[in-house]
Amino acid sequence: MSALIVVLVIVVVLILLAVLLVGMYNRLVTSRNAVDNAWAQIDVQLRRRHELIPNLVETVKGYAAHERQTLDAVTAARSAAVSATGPAAQAAAENRLTGALRSLFAVAEAYPQLQAGRNFADLQAELSDTENRIAYARQYYNDAVLGYNNAVQTVPTALVAGVTGFRVREYFTAPDEERGPVAVRFS
Amino acid sequence: MTVLTLVGAAVAVGAWFLLLGVVLAATRGPAVRPGPATAALGPQSPAVVDLLTGGWVLSDEAASATLLDLAARRVVTIEEIGPELALVRLGRRDPARGEPDLAPYEQLVLDHVRTLATADGVVATGALAEGARSLGPWWRAFGKAVIAEARAAGLSRPRWSRAQRLLLLGAGAVPMAAVGFAAAAARSGSDGPLGPFAGGAVLTFALLSALVTRLDRECGTDAGGAAASRWLGVREHLAGARFAEAPAAAVTIWGRPLAYAAALGVAGRAVAGLPVAIPADDSRAWSDRGGMWHVVRVDYRGPGPWGRFFWGRAPLHLLGRLAIAAIPSWGVAFLIGILLRAFLDVPVPPELVGLLGALLVVGVPLVGLLLDVGGRGVVEGQVVRLRRRVRSQNENRTTYDHYVALDDGRSRTVRAFGTTAERWEQLTEGDEIRATVSRRVGWVHAAEILTPSRYRTGAPRTP
Repeated sequence: MSALIVVLVIVVVLILLAVLLVGMYNRLVTSRNAVDNAWAQIDVQLRRRHELIPNLVETVKGYAAHERQTLDAVTAARSAAVSATGPAAQAAAENRLTGALRSLFAVAEAYPQLQAGRNFADLQAELSDTENRIAYARQYYNDAVLGYNNAVQTVPTALVAGVTGFRVREYFTAPDEERGPVAVRFS
Repeated sequence: MTVLTLVGAAVAVGAWFLLLGVVLAATRGPAVRPGPATAALGPQSPAVVDLLTGGWVLSDEAASATLLDLAARRVVTIEEIGPELALVRLGRRDPARGEPDLAPYEQLVLDHVRTLATADGVVATGALAEGARSLGPWWRAFGKAVIAEARAAGLSRPRWSRAQRLLLLGAGAVPMAAVGFAAAAARSGSDGPLGPFAGGAVLTFALLSALVTRLDRECGTDAGGAAASRWLGVREHLAGARFAEAPAAAVTIWGRPLAYAAALGVAGRAVAGLPVAIPADDSRAWSDRGGMWHVVRVDYRGPGPWGRFFWGRAPLHLLGRLAIAAIPSWGVAFLIGILLRAFLDVPVPPELVGLLGALLVVGVPLVGLLLDVGGRGVVEGQVVRLRRRVRSQNENRTTYDHYVALDDGRSRTVRAFGTTAERWEQLTEGDEIRATVSRRVGWVHAAEILTPSRYRTGAPRTP
């Protein structure tokens, strides 16, 4: 009789343990999916940014063709950003692209006709809005990564994460001067 | 005599209600039946459509539908960033075009978005429930403006005309006097008939005039009925367009039909995503500290199993609570100690078990209180929630616990601190403050406003 009770207790404990482990595993999967989804949102906004740049370069070239060095730097930074993979590499490439764009807009200030052009103003505004969306997408992604990494690194979910191959994710970091209220401003 | 006056009063009141019934029947609005399904949108705005198709009562959806309509007309844009995050972005002002030509109620919605917008001209859609306005007055102004437009278009009217109101109130003088006489006759043995007469008459007139005012709702005209019937046909068409699961940002694709679907109650997800006329959530606040909108979860309880009882109390109040909690805890543990010794021969004195029991309950908050006496902390952050909760209530007095939740930018989850009613009254949601606090027991000792709320002046304080 007592042996039966012991077996029953063990079975109940094992079932409870299994339910607990499945719950923790599912939570990890949900968090990881949230991170992947948030990254996809950043990707959408970054693609939009990358698509705007050739038009911007062409527009500037129409007025300031001899500013070749700056224009080439933007084009090269864009190419590096397009081919970058992973949050850390992507963030570094995007930050370099932001720097190159800043130089481009600094150059543009010397050309009043370019500044006055509707096309340039529209591109500038669209790029500024895209930067803002990237900043929000980055915040959204980093919040998702924080939740996921907390789950992966804290007990008891860390035990499940270690066995089932969940690894901490990288944050999408902003350059130092952009940490704070607003991401990038060109206008 | 008394019976006669009572019967007379009853007859007078009955006759007045008969008159009211006749006037109600004469002034009732047109019967509205759905017209044939059609995709052709009419000239009315979504807010007016909400009024017409809601039995001439405006619903919460009207404000959300108006914002969707502004997005469809490119006055603002709605952008989806993630499954739980979308942004309303103010359109860039074109100096050549000037301000967009908006109806007064559309302007109210746009102004609300503008007051919430950060330097980038952006508001998270969830943050629309945060407010630069007390919801009640704002909603009344919104409704008034929508009704004014509907009336101007001949689609709506007040139920009573001036003559009908005067007739009902004038006729109310008869039951007023009759009830007054009945009251005077019933109380003839007392100090005199004047007091009971005046009391009965005034009370009767007040009740009748309150009823007349209450029944004076907005009512449809024949043209309004025809328009409502046509819009119900549009609703039938839009209901089949699967707008129910479309997010607010889908307005970029669908345009005005989504705004009308929202007004007609067939775009639930889009409406839920734009909580313009919904009170803000107590435990989920939107903060723009740092310049970007983000969600902050607010917990009104302290850590641990006893957090509900000991968190957010003034130190002396907490001390009293701890003393009160310690006595029964000690008593229960003492009894357990006696039972342990009697039945299991546990060689521990019951007094010691009692002491351990009391410490188990009050030990942690007591230590926290003592540590906080020695070292208070300073927190700088944005006030994201100001709430008060009923602590005790009797016939004469209601006592509240006052809470202030601060987003200091360190975490997406914050615990609301308790504070005094006076300090709570001085704060507004959105203020940037520096607070001296007891971190372990959750009490604000002092608060200094560093930057007054720029977008939440007169923010609603929901009890």
